[in-house]
Amino acid sequence: MSMDSQYSMTGQILNIILVVGALIVAPLLGGFLSGVDRVLTARFQGRKGPPVWQPFYDFLKLLGKERIATSKMQLIWMYAYLMLMVTSLLFLLLRQDMLLIVFILGFAGVCLALGGFSTKSPFSHFGANRELLQMLAYEPILLLLAIAMFVNNGTFMVWRIFEKDVPPLLISMWPIFIAFLIIITIKLRKSPFDFATSHHAHQELVKGLTTEYSGPFYALFQLAEWYELVLLLGIVTLFWAHPIWIGIVIALVVFLLEIVIDNISARMTVGWMLKLTWALGLFLCISNIAYLYFKRGVF
Amino acid sequence: MSHDMMMAIAILLPVVAAILVYLIPDYRTRGGLVILTAVILILNSLAQLRQGPFNYTPAGTGWGEAIKWIDFLMLFFFIYAAVARRSLLILIFTLTQLFPLLYWEFVLRAHVEVEPAFMVDHLSIVMTLIISIIGSLICVFGVKYITDHEHHLNRQKSRQSTFHFWMIIFLGAMNGLVFANNLYWLYFFWEVTTLCSYMLIGHDLTKEALANATRAYWMNSIGGTTFVFAIIYLYANGGSEALSLQKLIAGGHSAEIILLPLALLCFTGFTKAAQMPFQSWLLGAMVAPTPVSALLHSSTMVKAGVYLVVRLAPAFSPSNLGQLGTLFGELVALCGSFTFLGASLLAISQTTGKRVLAYSTIANLGLIIACAGINTPLSIAAAILLIIFHAISKAMLFLSAGTIEHIIWSREIDDMEALAEKAPLTTLITGIGILSMFLPPFGMLLSKWMAIEAATSVSNAAMSNRFLAPFLIAMLVIIAGLFVVASAATVVFWSKWLGRLLEVVPRIERRYEKVSPGYFVPLWILLVGIFAFGLLISPVYHNFVQLAVNNASQGIANVSSQVLTDGGFVTIESVRSFPGAPYSAGIMPLGFYPVWILFVLLAMALAVPFFIVSVKQKELRPVYLCGENCGDVDTECYMTAAEQKTKMTIGGLYLQKLFGEAALNPTMNLIAISLLIIFIGIILGVTLR
Repeated sequence: MSMDSQYSMTGQILNIILVVGALIVAPLLGGFLSGVDRVLTARFQGRKGPPVWQPFYDFLKLLGKERIATSKMQLIWMYAYLMLMVTSLLFLLLRQDMLLIVFILGFAGVCLALGGFSTKSPFSHFGANRELLQMLAYEPILLLLAIAMFVNNGTFMVWRIFEKDVPPLLISMWPIFIAFLIIITIKLRKSPFDFATSHHAHQELVKGLTTEYSGPFYALFQLAEWYELVLLLGIVTLFWAHPIWIGIVIALVVFLLEIVIDNISARMTVGWMLKLTWALGLFLCISNIAYLYFKRGVF
Repeated sequence: MSHDMMMAIAILLPVVAAILVYLIPDYRTRGGLVILTAVILILNSLAQLRQGPFNYTPAGTGWGEAIKWIDFLMLFFFIYAAVARRSLLILIFTLTQLFPLLYWEFVLRAHVEVEPAFMVDHLSIVMTLIISIIGSLICVFGVKYITDHEHHLNRQKSRQSTFHFWMIIFLGAMNGLVFANNLYWLYFFWEVTTLCSYMLIGHDLTKEALANATRAYWMNSIGGTTFVFAIIYLYANGGSEALSLQKLIAGGHSAEIILLPLALLCFTGFTKAAQMPFQSWLLGAMVAPTPVSALLHSSTMVKAGVYLVVRLAPAFSPSNLGQLGTLFGELVALCGSFTFLGASLLAISQTTGKRVLAYSTIANLGLIIACAGINTPLSIAAAILLIIFHAISKAMLFLSAGTIEHIIWSREIDDMEALAEKAPLTTLITGIGILSMFLPPFGMLLSKWMAIEAATSVSNAAMSNRFLAPFLIAMLVIIAGLFVVASAATVVFWSKWLGRLLEVVPRIERRYEKVSPGYFVPLWILLVGIFAFGLLISPVYHNFVQLAVNNASQGIANVSSQVLTDGGFVTIESVRSFPGAPYSAGIMPLGFYPVWILFVLLAMALAVPFFIVSVKQKELRPVYLCGENCGDVDTECYMTAAEQKTKMTIGGLYLQKLFGEAALNPTMNLIAISLLIIFIGIILGVTLR
């Protein structure tokens, strides 16, 4: 979308309708994908698994449960987490400043961790601390992704990526794409990075930072996770923005890859995660950005 | 008001007020006088804002002489202090200033006449607003604080009047420092701030306080020494004329003459801004009563360091020095961004609230210096915004930390658990202060966002040199890398601390704490300031920052981008045209930050749930403790294997092995020292070539 049509009246209205629609569709898509995840994971493990729609059944069931909590602040941070996750998806759909999207996503992560801290529970503190360490691992890579987009496109605005004269990012930014794959695994809290909380109970962690959430409040967390999944896959599609269907195919392949990785790897330690992302991830990103600068020649 | 009047109130009034405060023994009268001085200083700084820029030279010739002799007097005082404290380091670094100055004065027979002696421009107006408003609020906070402090320590002999004396003198010296155009006068005020900090850090007269005051002095005196050398070098090569800041900034001197003094002056700025490896003096300064820390960290002292570097930025801009300027700037930026990273990582391992604040200050000063080094109008704007927002938020956080300290009588973060129940109002203010340091939509993040956009959108014709370009690009990418990791580390240490405050046990009775208005009034004013400055970013930017940026970036060519603020929107636009791209007039926005929309979202995400969500008493449950809870009510208690009732404690995560001072300091200091040596070495090499 070019600058002019973005600011025209009809363009604006169309945009808003599109965005509102997308915000409604996103959790449905996210829930469906996590259903697919559960089915595939079951097949990997030689089980039949639940129906694809199981996440939605679970969600509805959780909503109907009794409201119990351990503190009020805990609930407020969970609302904030959901709100900010939606906001950051909204900003992505509006093709806004990538750096800002990363910062808002970071704020969402902080809210989740603070929710874990807001109650005197050892397990949720455990998870919250680990969530913060995960942020320490992925935040730099996400920021560098935004910076690389800037160097490549000349702007932080996402809508530039969708213009005809910008070649697909994957061609010149494949090292960052690899680093981003690691980040997605961390963000989705899948093995080998299921430290903060996970879909299966772990002995020392119980349910990590979601231990003290239950019923409707836990449903909020589920909802936010679905938004997050769509957001992350949305960022993947940016790597091949036109024709967009190639980007979507790449995103789906990435999603399947994440499921495979989840099933074939064991949990590692937080220290290992930091080493991996800071050594390999930062190396990939920084050398990629240096290459992009050289390719551009002048600043 | 006449110019004479304004300058006299800004610089001399604090001196008079300080002497009066020192002489008045009565608590009420003294407090009243401090408040009166604060009000006058605030009004005066606002008058200066209305007045706008002017040059000023005080009538009469006595001023220069007076400054010279007071300066020597201070140095002799420090020789006395060195003997009294038996400190060799104080002696060495006093003599390294004294001997060159004596040589300059009596052998070179320096005759310094700089017109104008003071320049009031938009950058110094921004600084004086910060000093006068925030500094004064802190002095007011100090009135009640220091009384409680002495009460708690059971002091026999009150030293309150000394405390107020140095606090108020500090404000006058800072005002003089930011207005001075004559570099020698600037040096004088610089030394007065060093003296004030020495006195205030050692205020409690404990062994630790005195040791840390000593360290603060000798580290700052290294900077003082390089300042003296810069002055003598400039004077020897360019005469009295060369000591005018205005002339220095405007360019016109050849690279050989100004490169080395500029490097020395930046180094001086680094020492005062507690950049690595000089961070330890600011950390040691934490032993002082909390208002002192607040003053040192937010509006005075360290801000003088970054002020000097930002002020000098046009002098080393590429348009002034060409490619050498780019190299110089990037070296400065590298030093700054390294400190940003190092201090942010070290902050993760800190267990004391005040030390976290200290490391965060050091980190942010590093970021500001990095912005000054990147040296585009955009990055200078980011630097000035950071100075403003950091001053407000940090002052508030320190005053909150002081208030917390007087509620729980501890500085340890782990002791602050459940503060949300014990002292909800203080927690609310502290929480907002913490959030305002690193999250959107607050000003600090806006500035950080701008800094990152600036760091990557450097535009330089000077990059055409085939030999130098790869190095410059490599440095730029490394700076970006340091920025992002530091930024992530910032998130971790703030969240951990805020999390500790919020950690509550259900069914503890909540009661609102009683805090003296002497504490709360300055806090609430700063709180309003955070929101007002955050929301009114557009007028703030137009009336303060844009003009100051023009002052601090005059003559910077190769402008690649500009900041546009319109109501609640901040846009960074490219000035360059993109041929073939479908933009109107070829102008493309580089970044977009909708401040108001983000504030609305913050309100919807946090404030609305805060008022809407209610948890009934019967909905509260004890936490999960593997079924070993003592009962339904007392949730802090669990049964051990031996069926003993035990109180649960949760320790914080400080990662001492990974990010502790013992683990990181040797490497970090080594790298920081190497960076400084490389910086000075390259500049020296270029000068001697």
